[in-house]
Amino acid sequence: MNNKQFLTELSGKCHLSPEQAAEQVQTLIGVMESVWNNGDSVSLSGFGVLEVKKKNERVSVNPVTGVRMLVPPKLVLTYKPSSLLKDKLK
Amino acid sequence: MNSKINLSQLADLFAQISGLSKTASEQFVKAFFDIISQGVLAEGLVKVKGLGTFKLLQMEDRESVNVNTGERFTIEGHQKISFTPDAELKERINKPFAVFETVEITAEQAEKIGDDIETGYSEEPQSDTSEISDYTSEQTDNEPKIKDITQKRSTRVLLKLITWVLSLILLIGLVMYILWPIIGCKLLTMFDDKIAEKAQVTTIVETKSSLTSSSVTPEQSQNIEKPLMETEPIVNKNPESVVKEQEPEPAVKDISDQVVQQQFNLNREDMAKSVSLFTEADTVNYRITGKLAVHTVQNGETLAKISFMYYGTKKLWPYIAKYNKMSSFNNMGAGSVINIPKLAAK
Repeated sequence: MNNKQFLTELSGKCHLSPEQAAEQVQTLIGVMESVWNNGDSVSLSGFGVLEVKKKNERVSVNPVTGVRMLVPPKLVLTYKPSSLLKDKLK
Repeated sequence: MNSKINLSQLADLFAQISGLSKTASEQFVKAFFDIISQGVLAEGLVKVKGLGTFKLLQMEDRESVNVNTGERFTIEGHQKISFTPDAELKERINKPFAVFETVEITAEQAEKIGDDIETGYSEEPQSDTSEISDYTSEQTDNEPKIKDITQKRSTRVLLKLITWVLSLILLIGLVMYILWPIIGCKLLTMFDDKIAEKAQVTTIVETKSSLTSSSVTPEQSQNIEKPLMETEPIVNKNPESVVKEQEPEPAVKDISDQVVQQQFNLNREDMAKSVSLFTEADTVNYRITGKLAVHTVQNGETLAKISFMYYGTKKLWPYIAKYNKMSSFNNMGAGSVINIPKLAAK
């Protein structure tokens, strides 16, 4: 399902035009971003948790050349599906 | 900070910005995530522009070892939902750490850093296999995040403070620069007053000391002799009476006091004399009668030094300047030839 299909389905469910739906999706993502910036996580029952995690710095080695690199720490948006959703997969 | 935002809270925040009603916004948020989860289950892939891609991954069977017992067992193949954030969103979220870059390092450095990291990072490989440990590491990971944010804030505050102080100093400097003509004039007049006072004081001291030295010295010499004469007989009579015994002490004191005073007076006289030798008044009491010598200026020499060489005092340099018609003393470089005037008292 690509973005276009996603938007048409969303607009059908909420009685909006696809353009409006696209706009609202972007504002929703903006709201979630501000939540993540505050250090909070977005947790939805039946879907999962979307949160920002800090990954520590680490030393990685290029197996071909053997060159060691110090990879800096970074903040990464992670998703963990809820157990409800995982049960449905089985 | 570090709390979980649930559906209704997120819908509230969303309603504030989007302008939709509360129920409509809650419905929208719910639909948004429902479609994603349903889409992933049904089609295995959902792409949302601005957020990222949700994908269903098929995991193959694999062997693993029970850490406690060392037994081998197989983890059965299963499906897994993966999420890759949108590149733009990823960048925006990593903005606080965007300054860091991957650096190439030597093996020795790697060992050092590796030791530091291992303690905090050993949980990472486990989190892939078991879900429970992932939850625990989730909680521990949040703490450093908060620390980072607070550190950032403190540095920002510090930077603000520094800029404030710098701007304050600049402002003061500017004000001083503008008001310098006024303040400078006042300071100069104050300085002049002080010099004038000092000059007065020295002249007074001079006259006083000359007076005292002339009048006191003969008396003092008599005074010293007298008490000495007095004390000798009293000291001799020591065993006779206790009452008389007490007398010599003040007498001796008197002598010492007087001697000290005399010395003090003498010192003051010397001081006054030495001062009077080089007061400013002297520098006007000469007139130029002719040429005394021709002097080639050496490196590091000043008019005052030259004056000291020829006249024995630094104070008479203005005559040299006058004789050579110098308007500015800066042009007297090494090697220039100047005439030394012959001076006679007026």
